[in-house]
Amino acid sequence: MTVALATQLPAPPSSPAASPKFSPASMKKRRVEAATTPWMFAGPAVFLMVIILIVPILLALYLSFTNYSLGVIDFEWIGFQNYERIFTRSSFSKMFTATFIYVGVVVPGSIIMGLLAALAINSLTIGRGFYQTIYFLPVMATLVAMAIVWELALHPSIGIINRFFEASCSVPILSDFLAMEWVPFVDSATTFFGHGCATGFPNWLGDRTTALPVLCFIGIWQAVGFNMVLYMAGLTSVPRELYQAAEMDGVISPWSRFWLVTWPMLGPTNVFVITITAIRSFQSFDTIEALTRGGPSKSTYVMMYALYEKGIKQNLIGMAAAITIIFLIFVFLLTMAQRYFVERKVHYS
Amino acid sequence: MAKLNISNIEKSYGDARILKGIDLDIEDGEFIALVGPSGCGKSTLLRIIAGLEIHDGGTVSINDKMIDGLRASQRNLAMVFQSYALYPHLSVFENIAVPLQMRRLNGWQRLPFIGPHLPGARKQLDDIETIVREAAETLDLVHLLERKPGQLSGGQRQRVAVGRALVREPQAFLLDEPLSNLDAKLRVHMRTEITELHRRLKATFVYVTHDQAEAMTMADRIAVMMDGELLQVDTPSEVYHRPVDVRVAEFIGSPKINLLVIGHDGTGNLTVAGQPVPFLYSDPSVVTLGARPEALSIVTWEAHLKGRVAHLENFGAEAFFHIVLEGVENRIVVRGQPSLLETVGIGDNVNLELDPEQVMAFGNDGKRMDAQFTVNEKREVA
Repeated sequence: MTVALATQLPAPPSSPAASPKFSPASMKKRRVEAATTPWMFAGPAVFLMVIILIVPILLALYLSFTNYSLGVIDFEWIGFQNYERIFTRSSFSKMFTATFIYVGVVVPGSIIMGLLAALAINSLTIGRGFYQTIYFLPVMATLVAMAIVWELALHPSIGIINRFFEASCSVPILSDFLAMEWVPFVDSATTFFGHGCATGFPNWLGDRTTALPVLCFIGIWQAVGFNMVLYMAGLTSVPRELYQAAEMDGVISPWSRFWLVTWPMLGPTNVFVITITAIRSFQSFDTIEALTRGGPSKSTYVMMYALYEKGIKQNLIGMAAAITIIFLIFVFLLTMAQRYFVERKVHYS
Repeated sequence: MAKLNISNIEKSYGDARILKGIDLDIEDGEFIALVGPSGCGKSTLLRIIAGLEIHDGGTVSINDKMIDGLRASQRNLAMVFQSYALYPHLSVFENIAVPLQMRRLNGWQRLPFIGPHLPGARKQLDDIETIVREAAETLDLVHLLERKPGQLSGGQRQRVAVGRALVREPQAFLLDEPLSNLDAKLRVHMRTEITELHRRLKATFVYVTHDQAEAMTMADRIAVMMDGELLQVDTPSEVYHRPVDVRVAEFIGSPKINLLVIGHDGTGNLTVAGQPVPFLYSDPSVVTLGARPEALSIVTWEAHLKGRVAHLENFGAEAFFHIVLEGVENRIVVRGQPSLLETVGIGDNVNLELDPEQVMAFGNDGKRMDAQFTVNEKREVA
């Protein structure tokens, strides 16, 4: 674009406008201008990009090979020691486990739920705006404030969730239903509810086995609305004539219609939603900070929280920089995958 | 193949009445063109026939069987859309195969990977392949079968859309402005191709277009629609030479018909812009004369109509002269031999003569009247 603009620039006033032929000197001047003008146009943007994007990344890369702490003047180059620790120490292996479980549950969960919600809302003739708003509320709400609400709801003794379960234990119909008394070949004493009635319900956020699943649930709850809105936008861009063509071609069931038209046409949306959701779940921090602080016993020690703990709480900037670089590599790989799919697979026209 | 009967179709969107009781009988194997300006309801009518739109009143029947209650997918009609509506993620082969797969395979057999191995599926898939290849050969698409629609030109996409309609052997083909997204040259070419296809298939075609040239050149019969009403259903030649209505006369034919408001001088002579024309006609209800460009000619002798040439269009084989008549608001377009251009130029004053055989008369309600014009005086040879 800048090149095209540059070549269209009028000749400078000093050039001999009256003479029909250009002298060799003025030709040379024009050539130099054609080569430099694009850079002059692009210069400010390139400068800003280097200062605020490239330099910090290089700086982080450099710090990740040192033992730098904030305020310390003399720090040393320690090579790959930070990375070595990340890949050998058990707390960091717990970090990777928690991160990948979190991402692996939240991404498919929120995408499938978001798509289903979008399809359901899209099929409505009235009340669309109402449902859209309801599903979108968790996205708009401040997550830390929401986390406090969740914390109260999940409190082991006074939280509404456990109180509800405890109260249900004494209501026969409800307790039979929840304990799956009605399902054949299931021993109601061993089900989650039957067991809970006998021995007490879990300390959701304080128990190693339930803390991460609960956080995943909150993560999905929070991301569904956002994904739904993206899918709704994707659905409106599907040409109506394709559905009509499918109808003329003898497609009767909604199931076939979905697989023949809707799903393929959502291809570009899918790639975008998957990438965005994956990056956002890699970045999740506020619920963990508000609810579990990485615990209990590092079962919810996700990457972003580890970064915060190392860098801010323990002032191990070098280590935090190394985690940042690994995080960047993950995000970079995700973006590359997105580019691959966008260009190869889902680009139709 | 089938005949279609449409009777008293009504359709409104809110307060706007789009179709005001349309009656149309389409014969088996006929190529009928629904033509009219945009917004006249022709596409809505086609979509009602297809079943994509629900009408408020009236009935649609195929072979004397009412189909109003049937879904589009159950009507066994094929449609070619203006935007072609090809599935962008499927190859040309798969696009053409979709209607066959949907009708011949059950839900399990359509499943990816395992579907083709289920009992009965192999034979059907082989049949489908044969039919698709035959259609591809007919439409000259064989070398494109593996391509995606995104890699095809407009004309090729058009042919794929026709192919997809073709393979099903439907009872009738519905085409919704199929050529309007093509460039002018290709459009003329596809006109011939579609007409020849119709001749070969001997199927019923309902063709919606706003281009009167397409309707004139392709159709067995033209149905001219305006403002939700069917004005005339007739052969191209009848619609051109004997339009029932001044609106039809104006819509069909290019350049447009010349309309001359006429007066009566009281002695039985007609006047145009105050100049008497040499026609005797006493019926005072005639208010407009319609003369197609070929009904007028520039003559070298003194004639009753005199005008000045304002613009020229030379098409090589013919030329059109745009002439300003004194006291007439619109310019008159006259067709003439290009050789006339040697003697007539812009700004020249010319004499015009009307051919009484080709002149039409319209009453004040816009309807054409069966008027015979007689020349009331001898032509003076210059």
